[in-house]
Amino acid sequence: MDASTFKLLAAGLCMGLGAIGPGIGVGLVGMGALNALGRNPEARGQIMTYMILAIAMAEAIAIYALLITILIAFNVVK
Amino acid sequence: MSKKKVGCGCLGCSIPLVTFIVLVVLIIPISIWGFKLGGFAHSKNPSQAFVPTINISLPAEVIFHIGPLPVTNTIIASFLTVLVLVIIALVVTRKPKLVPTRIQSMMEAIIEWLYNFCKDTAGEKNGRKFFPLVSTIFLFVGFNALMNLIPGYNSITYGEAHLIRGANTDINTALALSIISFVCVTYWGIQANKFGFFKQFFNPGRFIKGWGQLFTGKFKSSLGNIGFGFLDIFVGILEAISYLIRLISFTFRLFGNMLGGEILVLVLFYLLVFGGFGIIPGIYGFEMLIGVIQALIFAGLTLVFATMAVASHSEEEHT
Repeated sequence: MDASTFKLLAAGLCMGLGAIGPGIGVGLVGMGALNALGRNPEARGQIMTYMILAIAMAEAIAIYALLITILIAFNVVK
Repeated sequence: MSKKKVGCGCLGCSIPLVTFIVLVVLIIPISIWGFKLGGFAHSKNPSQAFVPTINISLPAEVIFHIGPLPVTNTIIASFLTVLVLVIIALVVTRKPKLVPTRIQSMMEAIIEWLYNFCKDTAGEKNGRKFFPLVSTIFLFVGFNALMNLIPGYNSITYGEAHLIRGANTDINTALALSIISFVCVTYWGIQANKFGFFKQFFNPGRFIKGWGQLFTGKFKSSLGNIGFGFLDIFVGILEAISYLIRLISFTFRLFGNMLGGEILVLVLFYLLVFGGFGIIPGIYGFEMLIGVIQALIFAGLTLVFATMAVASHSEEEHT
């Protein structure tokens, strides 16, 4: 297996494995938000705001993985 | 029963709205088909449509130099955003009416929403103090992202590179905003707590007290204090690391989301030769949403960190 094969493998694995955690994390945030909304439908505005904030923080980890994948796949890393 | 005649009575809505809708409905398919038909013009054989390959350059391309400073295409885009924001501000505040016009009420709604957000999160006094930075970050990042989606923005080429490129896709913009946010939050923290601000990172008080107690003979409480003091120092180091990591995480969150979105759109256009009609409005709307959400997250996280930094760090007494 030569270098270009490994490069493709690395890019695929990086994004794939890097998205497991954030996927579960975002799902948990959504679950928490929906539970809170079910208990207290009047606090809808605040709950939505904090939910979006927490989703973005969890998703940032997936974005780090995406960044490394792009760097590997487009031959930016020497 | 008399109906008020608005614009053209037979259409039911005003003429400017109809013009806008017709233009939008016409522009999007015409531009897509124009792009594809232009691909045919390059080849004599119609079955070989020429689809230009995507070249994504991660660093922003330098267009010209002013003296020793290079001016990249993202700097041009960010100056355009600033120009648009200044023009909007001038138009809105030139002759403010008590019953606002449309653009004035739109900007009033945005600013009022941001102000309530600041006040809800940070309290009355602190909300007012944090409001300028938070709303500037929100408007700048939001308008950068939205203006990147104007049709034709990325199409003007200068030699080989685009003349204008969305400012958020440059890591320098994200880094600059993140450094500004970090410095301001630290400044507010030190201003509110004086040097007690550093107590959350460097907290050897209990550790030293435990060692002192060892020499005065109270062994049991000294061991407890040494143990907890060690934990305090360890947690302090972790807090310091996570405080400094905010610089990097802010940068990469904004940069990664924006660049990832742009690469997604490019790759989608490259892969779907003719059948992309339904996907494109979806991706376009998604990009607009992501842009505004990232702006909100940047501003909101700055606000939350500032609120946490300003809150007084009182030592909790363990029994």
